[in-house]
Amino acid sequence: MINSVRNTVLAILNKNNYGYISPQDFNLYAKQAQLDLFDEYFSDYNNAINDENRRTSGTEYANMSKQIIEVIDYFSVTRNLPHNTGNQFYLPSTQQGASSTGDDFYLLNKVLCYDTSTTPRTFTGEAEAVTHSKITLLNNSLLTAPDNTYPAYVLEGAFLNVFPITFNALTAVEAQYIRYPLAPKWTFTNVTGGEPIFDSSQADYQDFELSVDDEYILVNKILQMAGMEIRETSVVQYATAQETINNAE
Amino acid sequence: MAYITDYQYYENGGTDPKNKNWGSYQYISLADIVTNFLLMYSGNHSLVNNDERYKILFHAKRGIQELNYDALKEIKVLELSVCQTLRYVLPPDYVNWVRMSLYKDGVLRPMSENIQTNWSDAYLQDNECNILFDINGNIARPEFSDIDYDRITNQKKSIYLNSNNPQFDGMEGYNVDGGWWFDYQIGARYGLNTETANANPTFSMNKKAGVINFSSDMNGELCILEYVSDGMEAGVNSEISLNKMFEEYIYAYIQYSILDAKFGVQEYVVNRARKKKAALLRNAKIRMSSIDPGKLLMNLRGQDKWIK
Repeated sequence: MINSVRNTVLAILNKNNYGYISPQDFNLYAKQAQLDLFDEYFSDYNNAINDENRRTSGTEYANMSKQIIEVIDYFSVTRNLPHNTGNQFYLPSTQQGASSTGDDFYLLNKVLCYDTSTTPRTFTGEAEAVTHSKITLLNNSLLTAPDNTYPAYVLEGAFLNVFPITFNALTAVEAQYIRYPLAPKWTFTNVTGGEPIFDSSQADYQDFELSVDDEYILVNKILQMAGMEIRETSVVQYATAQETINNAE
Repeated sequence: MAYITDYQYYENGGTDPKNKNWGSYQYISLADIVTNFLLMYSGNHSLVNNDERYKILFHAKRGIQELNYDALKEIKVLELSVCQTLRYVLPPDYVNWVRMSLYKDGVLRPMSENIQTNWSDAYLQDNECNILFDINGNIARPEFSDIDYDRITNQKKSIYLNSNNPQFDGMEGYNVDGGWWFDYQIGARYGLNTETANANPTFSMNKKAGVINFSSDMNGELCILEYVSDGMEAGVNSEISLNKMFEEYIYAYIQYSILDAKFGVQEYVVNRARKKKAALLRNAKIRMSSIDPGKLLMNLRGQDKWIK
């Protein structure tokens, strides 16, 4: 999809000899556009739920929330969280060296706790996210103190602290989270006639991870940024107008 | 919790304790209650939305506690010997007592709670009634108060018709096997206080100290305490359960409790939840009362009995 998006962007930019953007700039804009659109999925999902509660949404093919869930779930990952010390585990990240999970998380959806004293390990309960202002009260509560069946966790920097503190082993905590989409990269091998030739066989090639029906939105978002780069206001206005129409739909 | 096989039910899969699953089908576990509520009564399209699980857990437990106090009729029974201290330490999960009995000669004899106290704290005092203190400034106390000492040493008189009642003092009687027996008194006995007209030992609760204090005639006897707990099973969540008759009620209770405490919920919504909760509690209580034609028939057979 990335080559198609780039060709469309260049076609619009070149329509009146407005200008040209390099592959490096395109990749930067593509990453930003993808993140922007990815972020909108979640607010779109919230809007779809509100529509359902207002009874202005349908079922089956008109079930908008289901469609958005399917798109978001493409980015779902379930993985053991690397253990740090005591009841502290690393959050999913690409920055933790040997403790890296290989991807950054956008949203931590589920944290599952296991008793590792058995083989295979036994699922005990899903941990609940609580705030720092609540965890002390919760730990001191007679009725609701976290236990094996109802664990809790708080986030602290790059870590996740699980309660009760008996969850302190290597594979005691597993998380299901929504990762960020990988940064798109339009790759090329050589330049022919002043034009780089697309080559998807490069090791660092990365296509957009969004669904195909979002292609025209990506084009509009990249056009807005490219229009700013070449200081062509009509391109920015065109792209903004297209996005406004799209949002109104 | 998953359904279990007959072998697991009767023999616990061959592991001890074998009776672990007996009667378990009557109950739904706390984990199931919370899970079912989260699945069926909470979420984007439900009245209860965006509430933390610990709140649901809290209200589920509170509901179970309330039911254990009366509606559930989950009576626990504990037999203990009463020794020279004439004291019965309350069980660790005790909340309130239902009935206290003396078990003697193969018969359960119901005991009365003494309408007077039979225990007291005491402070040490000097000859001029000044209170004495220790070097730390705390009040000095004797081991026993006088009333406790008299009771424990069998000197305290009783207003009940039991062994230390002074009404037979000075009268001639017969001592048989350690017990005193008297002839019928001539003439009518007016003015009997029916409230204290009981020959069994009496007791008095000391809730703060966590003990039951008995009259001196309980020394060496067996006491059977029927009591209610709060169903929290010493805080072990996996062992907390609720009779299935109350399953729908507990969901309604959690829903009502959350809506009632939430800001901005319309009053009619809260009221609807409250009425649903109350109606389901009535239904469950009727079911638990086990009123059936066979029992009624047995009771009504006595209606025409001549009372001499």
